Amino acid sequence: MNGFNLAWRSVIRKPVKSILLFVTVFTISLLLLSAVSSGKATIQMQDDTRQAIGAGLMIEENEADRHRRMDELSGQLDHKEGSLGGYHQEKIMINGVENWITRTDNSFETLLVEDIEKIASTEGIADYNITTVTTAARPVDFIRIEDEDVDQYSDLGGVSLIGNKDMSMDSNFLSGNAFITDGRMIKEGEEDVCIISAELADINQLEIGDRLRFGNCHDKENSTAYVAEIVGIYQVNQPIVPYMFGDTYRSENIIFTDLDFPEKVDGKAGDPLYAQAYFKIADVNEYETVKERVIGVDIAWERYDLIDNNGNMNTLSANFNEMEKYSSILVGVIFVASLIILFLIFQFWMKSRDREIGIMLSMGTPKIQIIAQIMTEAFMVAAVALSISFLAAPMMSDLTADYLVKQQIQSAEEQDLLDEGKVALSYEKSEQNVVGVQTEITSGMLVQDVSSIVLLITVSVCAAGIVILKRNPRDILQEL
Amino acid sequence: MILEAKNVEYTYKSQKERKVLDNISVRFEEKKFYTIIGTSGAGKTTLLSLLAGLDSPTGGTILYEGRDILTKGLNYHRKHHVSLVFQEYNLIDYLTTEENVKLGGTDNPEELLLKVNIPQEAWKRNVMKLSGGQQQRVAIARALASDAKVLLADEPTGNLDNQNAMEIIGLLKRTAHKLGKCVIVVTHDKHLASEADEVIQIIDGQTERNTLGIK
Repeated sequence: MNGFNLAWRSVIRKPVKSILLFVTVFTISLLLLSAVSSGKATIQMQDDTRQAIGAGLMIEENEADRHRRMDELSGQLDHKEGSLGGYHQEKIMINGVENWITRTDNSFETLLVEDIEKIASTEGIADYNITTVTTAARPVDFIRIEDEDVDQYSDLGGVSLIGNKDMSMDSNFLSGNAFITDGRMIKEGEEDVCIISAELADINQLEIGDRLRFGNCHDKENSTAYVAEIVGIYQVNQPIVPYMFGDTYRSENIIFTDLDFPEKVDGKAGDPLYAQAYFKIADVNEYETVKERVIGVDIAWERYDLIDNNGNMNTLSANFNEMEKYSSILVGVIFVASLIILFLIFQFWMKSRDREIGIMLSMGTPKIQIIAQIMTEAFMVAAVALSISFLAAPMMSDLTADYLVKQQIQSAEEQDLLDEGKVALSYEKSEQNVVGVQTEITSGMLVQDVSSIVLLITVSVCAAGIVILKRNPRDILQEL
Repeated sequence: MILEAKNVEYTYKSQKERKVLDNISVRFEEKKFYTIIGTSGAGKTTLLSLLAGLDSPTGGTILYEGRDILTKGLNYHRKHHVSLVFQEYNLIDYLTTEENVKLGGTDNPEELLLKVNIPQEAWKRNVMKLSGGQQQRVAIARALASDAKVLLADEPTGNLDNQNAMEIIGLLKRTAHKLGKCVIVVTHDKHLASEADEVIQIIDGQTERNTLGIK
C-alpha cells in the first residue's frame, strides 16, 4: 500500500482532522484572495463637480498618484539637489537652517499625449479634445475686469487662458453654459487665435479680427508678448467656476485659445500642461460598452481619474487613500497568522498520530516518506478547500473591499474634522461620494493564492515534522 | 546464524549514564523460537530494540548475516531484515484488517489472515473493532507479510487472556518451525518462555557481566 493510498484513506476516515484543516485552508484562501483583490479594487466614485458632458468620457490627473510619484522621485534623488522626471528639488539655507524647495514642471503634471491617443483609438470613440490647464497671462494691450472692492495686491493681475484642441468639446461649451454670440469657435489646427467674453470685449471695445497681446504673468519686464486674433465672442449663462481665487481667474477674464497658445505665453513652448482630455462616444447606446473598452486600454490608469457623464469615477485602490497599503498589510498579517495556525494544526496532526508514525518507522518507512504522506493528505484537503474558496471569493472580496473603503472614508472624515480650521486650501475641495466598489478575482490572483497555500502548508508541515521526527523510533514507541 | 549482538552495550544518557546492557553477546538462528526473559529494567526490551534497529547500541555491534546493520542503515534493516509485533498491537486505526496486513508488504492478505485464524467477516472491518486477541493476530499477520527472516515480539501476550495467549504462542512457534523464521520474543510470561527452543535470561545487565544464561 503506497503513501497516496494511505493518505486518502486517512483523509476520509479521520474526518475531524481533515475538517479542521479544510476550514482553516478555506478561510485562509478566502481571506488572502479578498485582501489581494481589495488591493486591486476599483472604487466607483461620484463627483458632482466633475462631469463629462453628454455621451463622453473624461480623464484628469489623479491627485493621490501625483503625490506618490513625487515621493518616489524624491526618494530616488535621496536628499540631494537635482531633477528627475519633471520633479526638481533644491536646497536653500535660511538663517543657517537647511530648507528644501521642491517643484514640478509641466512634463511631470501633464496628461500624457500617448495615453490620450491610445484611449482615442479605442473602438467606439468618435473624437477627442485636449484642454490645457488654466494659464494666467498678462494682458499687454487691453484691460481685464476687476472687482473694485477687492485688494488686488496678492493677485497676479492677469487673465486666464484655456487652450483646446477642439473647442466644440470644451466642457463649458459642451454643457451649453458658454455659447458664441459673435464670430465662431476656434477650429482644430488654428494657431494664435482666441475667443473672449462679451464683458471683456465691451470694456475694451474689442471686435472680431482685433488682435490681443499677452505676456508672461511672472516676468513682466522681459517676457515676449504673443499676439492672438479674436475670432469669436462668448457669453455664459452661469459664471464659469474659477480655477483659483482672484480676479485673474474670474469667469469674465477667461479667454479660450488654440491648444498651443497658453504654453507659448507661459514661456514653455513645446512643454504643454494638459489638464483634461474628453472622448466623445460615437453611439450613445453603446456608452457602457465603450466605457468598458476604455477601462481596458493598456495605460497606467493609476495616473488618471476616468470620469463618466454622471460624474462617476473609477479610482484604483492605489489612489484611494491608503487602501492598497492596508490590503498589503492585511495580506501580511493573514500570511503570518496562517503560518502559525497551520503549524499548530500540523503539530496536532503529528502528535495525535504518534502511534502511526511509530509503526511506520518500525516498519522501516523513511521519515521523509512519512512527511510526504502527511503533506499529500494536507494537499488533498487543501485542493478541495481551495476549489470552494474560489467560488466564494468574489462575494467575500466585495465585502472586504467594501469594508476597507468604509474604514478609509471614516478615517478621512475624522482627519477632516481634525484639520478643520487648521488647513487652508486654495481651492474648493470637491465632494466625492463612493457609489460602489468593484473587485475582480483574476487568474493571477488564483495562482498567487494557490502558491501561498502550497508554501504555507509545505513550511508548516516541515516545521511540525522536524519537532516530531527528530526523535528516534524507539522513543516514540516507548511513549505509546 | 542470522542475527547477532556482539559485545553490545547500552547506556541511558538521561538516567545518569546508567548502563542497561553491558557487553552482551548473543546469537540467533533461523527456524528457532527464542524468548528473552529477565526482571523489570534488566534490559530485555532495550536488547530487542537494538536487535530491531529502533536504536543504536552505545557500544558493540548488531550483525545481520554477519554484517553490521549500520552498513545499510537502520531503516533498511527494519524494512528488510526484521518485522515487529508489540504488546499494544500497534495497528493503524483508520485501516481495515486487510489493509493493515497489506501494510506489511503483501498484496495477498487473505492467505495470512486465514493462517492467523481471523474470520473472513472481519477482514473488511476497521481493525479497531476486533478483539484484543484478534488484533494481535492481525499484527502477527502483518509481521509475516514481510519477507523479513526475523520476527521480534515485545510482550505479545501481555494484554491477552490465557486462551488468546496460548493461541499466539502457538502461532509464533509455527512461524519459527514451519515458516523457518527466527522468532525472538521478550516476555515475562513463564509459560511462554518455557515454550521456546532457547531462553535467554538477562540478569541485571548493569551489574552482572556476561550473565547471559542460555538454557
